[in-house]
Amino acid sequence: MNSLIKEIKDSIGDNDDLFFTEHQLTDLSVVFIGLNSLVDLGPSIKQLEKMGQKNYSSKEKLKQISQLGEIKRNASEITSLLLEGKLMIAISLNSDSVVSVDPVPVKLNRAIDQITNENTMLGPLVSFNEDSLTNIGVMRKQLLSEKIRVKHFRTGIHHKKALSLIYYEGIVEENLLETVVKEIKGNSKSDLYSLQDVTKMLGITPYSIVPRVKTTEIPSEAAQSLLKGKIVLFLDGLPFALILPSVFIDMFFLESDKNLTFPLMISLRSLRIAGTLIALIFPGLYVALVAVNPEVLRLELALSIAQSREGVPYPAFIEIIIMLVVLELIMEASVRLPKSIGPTITMVGGIILGQAAVEAQLVSNLLVIVLAATTIANSTVIGVQNLISIRLLKYIVLIFSSVFGVLGILAGVFFICAYLAGVSSIGVPYLNFKHSKGEGNNG
Amino acid sequence: MLKKMLIFSLLPFLLFPLSGCWDNRDINHRVMPISIGVAKMDEGYKVFLQIPEPSSESLGTRIVTGEGETINQIIDNISVNMESAVDLLHVKVIVVDKRLAEEGLNDLISGFIRSRDVSAKAVIAICDDNIDQFFESMENAEGGEGTILLDYFEKYSGWDPHVALSRVWEVYRSSHSYTRDVAIPMIKRGQTTFLEIVGSAVIKNGRLVEVISSDETLLYNAFNNKSTRGKIEILDDASVMILSNDTDYKAEFTDQTPHLQTTFNFSVMILETNGNPSAQDIKMNLEELLLDRYKALIVKLKTSEADILGIGQHFRKEIPRKDLKNWRSDYYPNLAFNPIIQVDIQNYGNLKHTTN
Repeated sequence: MNSLIKEIKDSIGDNDDLFFTEHQLTDLSVVFIGLNSLVDLGPSIKQLEKMGQKNYSSKEKLKQISQLGEIKRNASEITSLLLEGKLMIAISLNSDSVVSVDPVPVKLNRAIDQITNENTMLGPLVSFNEDSLTNIGVMRKQLLSEKIRVKHFRTGIHHKKALSLIYYEGIVEENLLETVVKEIKGNSKSDLYSLQDVTKMLGITPYSIVPRVKTTEIPSEAAQSLLKGKIVLFLDGLPFALILPSVFIDMFFLESDKNLTFPLMISLRSLRIAGTLIALIFPGLYVALVAVNPEVLRLELALSIAQSREGVPYPAFIEIIIMLVVLELIMEASVRLPKSIGPTITMVGGIILGQAAVEAQLVSNLLVIVLAATTIANSTVIGVQNLISIRLLKYIVLIFSSVFGVLGILAGVFFICAYLAGVSSIGVPYLNFKHSKGEGNNG
Repeated sequence: MLKKMLIFSLLPFLLFPLSGCWDNRDINHRVMPISIGVAKMDEGYKVFLQIPEPSSESLGTRIVTGEGETINQIIDNISVNMESAVDLLHVKVIVVDKRLAEEGLNDLISGFIRSRDVSAKAVIAICDDNIDQFFESMENAEGGEGTILLDYFEKYSGWDPHVALSRVWEVYRSSHSYTRDVAIPMIKRGQTTFLEIVGSAVIKNGRLVEVISSDETLLYNAFNNKSTRGKIEILDDASVMILSNDTDYKAEFTDQTPHLQTTFNFSVMILETNGNPSAQDIKMNLEELLLDRYKALIVKLKTSEADILGIGQHFRKEIPRKDLKNWRSDYYPNLAFNPIIQVDIQNYGNLKHTTN
């Protein structure tokens, strides 16, 4: 007779945080089933006692308790509810049904926090966190509209992950919505752990240098995307919104720019575009001018560069590769390191890149200037993903320019443009500059 | 499939062996002469390379010379003997000696154009001096600024509209064109300054045929609208600076005779006056002076049959192709040139001009 409880035990497995506690709920003896890592049992019982009847008769026990929640009989359903943090009440260890109730959960989510990775100068500081329901709440607070639609999906076989989709009824691109919903429903069996899994599920290739899904941790950015007809996805456990589709101008245009006046906004955005170009071209330009086409330089400049390179043992290409690798290592290390050791890296890196390498005549001091300009310019781009893709793409220009000189820079930039022109995500080309529906009115 | 992927992933690496990028030399392994001197010897040429030497304090100059049959061979010999490869792409000034210019520059210029070693934008000048000593003194020049010659012809630096400015490609064009010649500057060592302008050499078919003074060069530049900021001294009266000028042409071709009416509009600024001439006087005297100079210049050019003003360009559509090659000898000497000079005194500087 105890098959249901046994089944539950079997399917959850040998877990020490699974509890079966017998308890007197006022005058009724019941068994609580739950995971004590997810359920705070003491307060939950108190809450149930407040909610429940004063007196339970021993007859129709189940019916009386069921007022607290829902009756469940299916073992696998009960298991997944337990994993979600629900509390089960059984009349006895032998009963063939349980009542699922909402308990007081153990606090596992951090509070809504400040933005950590995408600093804005003027704009809201609230950021998304790991809980997708919280994130949807934050979004609802941004856009008080009855046109906002939220759809929940559960995907995965081994892990049932909550995936939420938000769009703005009437503004959203219908084709886009249709495709995304179709893809999610069609691939509901795929387990989602990371952004790569999500893109794979949506039928977007993960072998892409530029991000096909825009991520942001700023709710106002996500809200503005909804008004532009885009779709926002939240995957439970990822502290940012996934915005579909991602387009080229997302690299330069931030919604919070609109908190500045129009000329300031334009100049700021042009600055980012210039920064990206500098980050892409500068290392290549250095190699092209120093090694392949010095005739392009003005004579005075050529002589002073030649002077600064006097005694440098490596050809320009090797020289810049060495320094770029050191630079990339420093950047990666400063992300990886705990905040307390971080300054050490900054200091040591500064000494190596700034002074020691030049004084030891391993590199020319012009190269240090070029590298500094590149790194600084690179950081003007919006979004961590874009930053890394620009960091990678500059090597293409660098290799071409080391072979073909100034012409190679053109070839490299052309290559990158051609690549970007070929990219499209869910039917929207990456280089889509067309105003989408609704942007004129709300954006 | 795997094999295909392997091939495709290896293909980009072919870029390196196929491109020829292994013999790229870094900038510090190149010797970059900024000017070349070429002198005609009894047999072959003598070449001077002026190489700026970057040192920690200032820019020194080194002069390297070589002799041989052809320019390329000499440069190659120098390159063999030097510690770095000679790269002529930075050459900005080519100085040839007067003897070579008189014998003809065609071989030299077409060699430069053909080999593409020297930029076609390099300025060409004639040294009316002993070219050996000319370059020697450059090496010994006090202060050792390595870019004297370069700065002298640089528009933003030392160039003045009294100096003709002709590029290698323009000289090349003149030796192949029926209707256009070129004037190139003639320089020598100065007494107190390093350089002194002698005038301009009129080059016809690559050969020096006539020398015009620097005042006449200013008119030549004005004809090509390059005279801005040039200063003219009017005898006994005043000196003025040209602020802007433009030219209108009216070309007619009747009875096998070319007629050219050219209207020059000069806007000038008065710099200095002697006594107190009225603006009208200055204007009239200036117009007269310019008119005389233009007429004299044209007469001089007609005699030497060299068309540095490019007047023949206006008649190319009138003269049949087969006769065009005789432009300089048959038509140009008969040219009826009618210059009209209009001077506008645009301002009087910071002082009010009062006439008595």
